[in-house]
Amino acid sequence: MAHPTQLGFQDAASPVMEELLHFHDHALMIVFMISTLVLYIIVAMVTTKLTNKYILDSQEIEIIWTVLPALILILIALPSLRILYLMDEINDPHLTIKAIGHQWYWSYEYTDYEELGFDSYMVPTQDLASGQFRLLDTDHRMVVPIESPIRMLISAEDVLHSWAVPSLGVKMDAVPGRLNQAAFIASRPGVFYGQCSEICGANQSFMPIVVEAVPLEHFEKWSSLMLEDA
Amino acid sequence: MSLQKPLMRGLLAKRLRFHLSIAFSISIAAAIAFKYTVTEPRKQAYADFYKQYDAVKEFKAMREAGIFESVRPSGE
Repeated sequence: MAHPTQLGFQDAASPVMEELLHFHDHALMIVFMISTLVLYIIVAMVTTKLTNKYILDSQEIEIIWTVLPALILILIALPSLRILYLMDEINDPHLTIKAIGHQWYWSYEYTDYEELGFDSYMVPTQDLASGQFRLLDTDHRMVVPIESPIRMLISAEDVLHSWAVPSLGVKMDAVPGRLNQAAFIASRPGVFYGQCSEICGANQSFMPIVVEAVPLEHFEKWSSLMLEDA
Repeated sequence: MSLQKPLMRGLLAKRLRFHLSIAFSISIAAAIAFKYTVTEPRKQAYADFYKQYDAVKEFKAMREAGIFESVRPSGE
């Protein structure tokens, strides 16, 4: 989850998010390069009384400041397209989970083998147990096995929502009447938090997402227990 | 003895040439500095983390700390 005074991304918990982090570093490096160049030139230009009233045109500099930005854009576009196609790869998922947005909670359905479904409501602030996070924890968490490709099918029952978990590098709109597919692999065990990322009414901020990644045998025990309780 | 005629033209161009070369050098230096102080250390940090990572051991530690709801600590 995010922590106070945080400036950058949350630690990556999936291979795709790691790639996104590295791409962001690459793009930011280019941004700093251009920003220092422009800032230096601005300061150099405003700190002189020298002028030239007779500048008309110059082929050389026009070529330079057309070709150079084009090269920089190619330098950004190539890794960007690489990661875009990486995110879309069909990766033979081990599990498919449906996440459906409602006003104002998420419901999850695991229907690969049995019909397992449950709702996930935010824990109200007055009901928080010790150690739980305000506005982030839910009564039921979405549990997934680690190191397994998971396919998410995301939709909504009423208005637009968006299922987002930053540390897994997933954000996908939940559109009524439409199934959107997203995929991720949880690289390590842990608990990962997210929040609804599309305006959906008064309680958009109060329908968080919690993903719990555990080893496969514990995931199987959990799903059996949930089916018994249902 | 006559004084040499002072340079009266091309002053702005001369300044531009001087400062543009410094500007490009500083911007490339900024990019290289960012790459070797942020980008490469971050890649190395992730590689080092996963090289020694024992998912089972970490999971057990997290479980005993009571973080998970699907799996309670072994005492419970």
